[in-house]
Amino acid sequence: MAEKKKVIKRLKTMYPLRGLVDKMFEKAVEYSHEGKPVAWCMVNWWGGDSLLRAMDVACIYPEDYGAVCAAAGVAQTYLERCNSDGFPDHICGYARNCLGYASLMKAQGGIPAGAPMGGMPKPSLLVGSGYFCDTRFKWFQALGRYMDAPLWLLEMPHPGVPESLGKDSEKYIIRFMVEELKKFVAFLERSLGKKMDWDRLDEIVSDTIEMNRVWWEVNELRKVKPCPVHSRDFWSCMPAALYQAGDPKETTILYKNMYDEVKGMIDRGEAAVPNEKFRLAFAELPPWHSLGFFDNLAERGWNCVVESWAYHPPQFIDLSQYKDPLERVARHTFQYFAGFFKHAHEAGEELGYFGYPYIEYVKNYKCDGFLAHPLLTCRTATNHLMYVQDRLMQKLKVPSLFMEGDIIDYTLFNPDEVLRKADAFEEAMLHYRDVRKKEGLDW
Amino acid sequence: MSEHNLKGIAKAQKIYSDRSQRVKELKVAGAQILGYMCIYPVVEIISSFDLVPYRIFGSIEEPITKADNCLPTCVCPFLRSALDLGLKGKYDFLDGVVMAHPCEVAEKLAHIWRTYMDPVYSFYIDTPHATREAAIEYHKESLKDFQKSLEVFLGKGASSEKLKKTIEDYNEQRALVRELYDLKKPDPPLISGVETIEVLESLMSIPVKEGNELIRDVIEEIKERRGGPAKGARVLIWGSIIDSIAVVKLIEDLGANVVMDDTCVGSRFFFPDVETTGDPLDKLARRYLVDLKCPRTFIESGIEAGKKDYAEDLALRFGYLGDYVKQWNIKGVVLYALRFCDTHAYEVVSVKDYLSSLGIPSIYLEHDYSATSLSPLKTRVQAFLETLGY
Ligand code: SF4
Ligand code: SF4
Repeated sequence: MAEKKKVIKRLKTMYPLRGLVDKMFEKAVEYSHEGKPVAWCMVNWWGGDSLLRAMDVACIYPEDYGAVCAAAGVAQTYLERCNSDGFPDHICGYARNCLGYASLMKAQGGIPAGAPMGGMPKPSLLVGSGYFCDTRFKWFQALGRYMDAPLWLLEMPHPGVPESLGKDSEKYIIRFMVEELKKFVAFLERSLGKKMDWDRLDEIVSDTIEMNRVWWEVNELRKVKPCPVHSRDFWSCMPAALYQAGDPKETTILYKNMYDEVKGMIDRGEAAVPNEKFRLAFAELPPWHSLGFFDNLAERGWNCVVESWAYHPPQFIDLSQYKDPLERVARHTFQYFAGFFKHAHEAGEELGYFGYPYIEYVKNYKCDGFLAHPLLTCRTATNHLMYVQDRLMQKLKVPSLFMEGDIIDYTLFNPDEVLRKADAFEEAMLHYRDVRKKEGLDW
Repeated sequence: MSEHNLKGIAKAQKIYSDRSQRVKELKVAGAQILGYMCIYPVVEIISSFDLVPYRIFGSIEEPITKADNCLPTCVCPFLRSALDLGLKGKYDFLDGVVMAHPCEVAEKLAHIWRTYMDPVYSFYIDTPHATREAAIEYHKESLKDFQKSLEVFLGKGASSEKLKKTIEDYNEQRALVRELYDLKKPDPPLISGVETIEVLESLMSIPVKEGNELIRDVIEEIKERRGGPAKGARVLIWGSIIDSIAVVKLIEDLGANVVMDDTCVGSRFFFPDVETTGDPLDKLARRYLVDLKCPRTFIESGIEAGKKDYAEDLALRFGYLGDYVKQWNIKGVVLYALRFCDTHAYEVVSVKDYLSSLGIPSIYLEHDYSATSLSPLKTRVQAFLETLGY
């Protein structure tokens, strides 16, 4: 498939946000040279980043580095190294990339030659997470073969929808999270040999919540028809919030700039995709190695207007009444995890995260279709997709298209096949527009 | 012959071949049956309400057809199979289900199961990965909620005394299972790995007291019987769920004896007791969260020291395997993981490293949970046994 011209209109304000990722990796290399602490972290949805930042630890995210390696075309070397060390090939592509990288790092005694973006320097700490996927801490545990950095597990409760709504549930859930965070602070203080700066933490937490509020507002604007922000822009600037790639106060300004740009586009009736014909919700992680493919879809008028709940900021709630910054961290993160649960319960839906949010998104963003990218090596991004496909059809009469692939391994993705299916899928989307109309649904 | 006329191993084999027969009889007599998935739903709480806990398994013999519409092929084939059986009506006799969070996919399955199977009663017990005090406390709160939901479902209150008594019944069962495993220490062992699974699966299919009676008979029988297993390579099997005798049979048919295991249908589920003093919910939370040694739980060294020593970490996480190796005189280990089982897949290399440090050879087998794909595994096991000198 020859790559077509760039059709998707990119936001100008996206670039400085995207640039924060490069800066994040550069900062880690600098810190490492200066003998300052560097942590390899799993994306933990605000559970620990503010605390690390307040302790002046440079954080990098091997997950993100996996995407970087895939885009730079060097992932295959690391994947092969991981395989030859004996790890099964069905585990997460990001993890295999990182395990292979760490193995080479050990063998070469430093950042492997040719590592993109200056490489990931040796960590002083590993911060795994108990959020969602098992890989999030099993992978970091497996890194013990290659490095002596201690590993902390940031824990996250995963109650079910009805179970989370019990009389005392919220109380003990938050208590648990706060206690875990306290232990994390103690671990950091011990490992780094210095005390937490609580005032600094307080400020960072407030800034982080505000940053996510503005980012949430930007995404709310995408409900407008035609949609001014394509998923590609979303993915480019989500790390700024999700990984706290930059200083949250400064990042907030960048998101505000984005808000203004998007607002202006709406006023002028501008869209990310000229002639937006079909609005799609995209699940879950994109094929990082083939992002240009979305231009091929955009050429047909396909606009990806909303993505998985997993990468979106939580719906804003005012947490200013909670003076303890750890409690604000806990409540903010739990709001992200369980923010849809009450509605899910009312709608009789059991999968309150990863599942139900798509139902709301598809309705509120008025999507014609659900574009799913199942990943052979990621259970988390895949196990609910058929369920969602079924719920969307049952409840909203919205059809789905599955395009099999992988986040790292480009050989598993077949863009031509997706394009072959595109005509039939467009017909299905048109057909279901009529069906929805007949059933009284308003898009 | 009905299982009522049978005793000991023959009875266990009969139950294994038709696991739900006994609970269906009990159901006709008025009992209520609660299905549970994996080893984390607390069976003591279920039984303390006079409900019969019944472990949900899959079937490696039965092709997955219906679950294909609900769960993709890149997730745990055991879970897909279990759901498939459910969708085909094989678990229709259950009055409800209790699920937990052994791994990410099983946690999702709990919610997907509720959606598609629509059980009259269901509860999902959140199970943290951490084992710190706050996690234990949180887990205890979840268990309290579980108790409360059963109270509402059954219209009767929980009794702390009854719970303590039930814990004692289960501890008795666990002691008997450990006694059974002691009979696998001699060379040759007095009971085969295949028979062990038949007995243990029976215990998970009948009420606890009946199970205790059964295993007592089994122990008595095998202590006395002649013609048990012949001598062979003494093997430990580690890994993901093994709920069919076929995998162990494959190894034993090649002349080895699976004398020890670390899987969730074996010692992993049965070995740890629940402490009987103090608040029973607290002790249950500790037993299930801290004492069950499954790769899904996070244990790590170096947290205090601020620096990890890999050898120390391996000893902390897998030291119990070293004890098994010594006590059961293990010559080789089969590491068995289901394809797409992340919790076990990440562990394989470290377990291998640990075993190598003890001088114990191991082989890694990956299985897709189907009977038809066992033969290539056979060739590999055969080659492995040859390297052990058998
Ligand atoms: S969510 Fe998927 S891609 Fe991300 S770390 Fe987990 S397994 Fe890997
Ligand atoms: S075999 Fe693995 S993936 Fe399957 S239920 Fe058990 S732990 Fe989960």
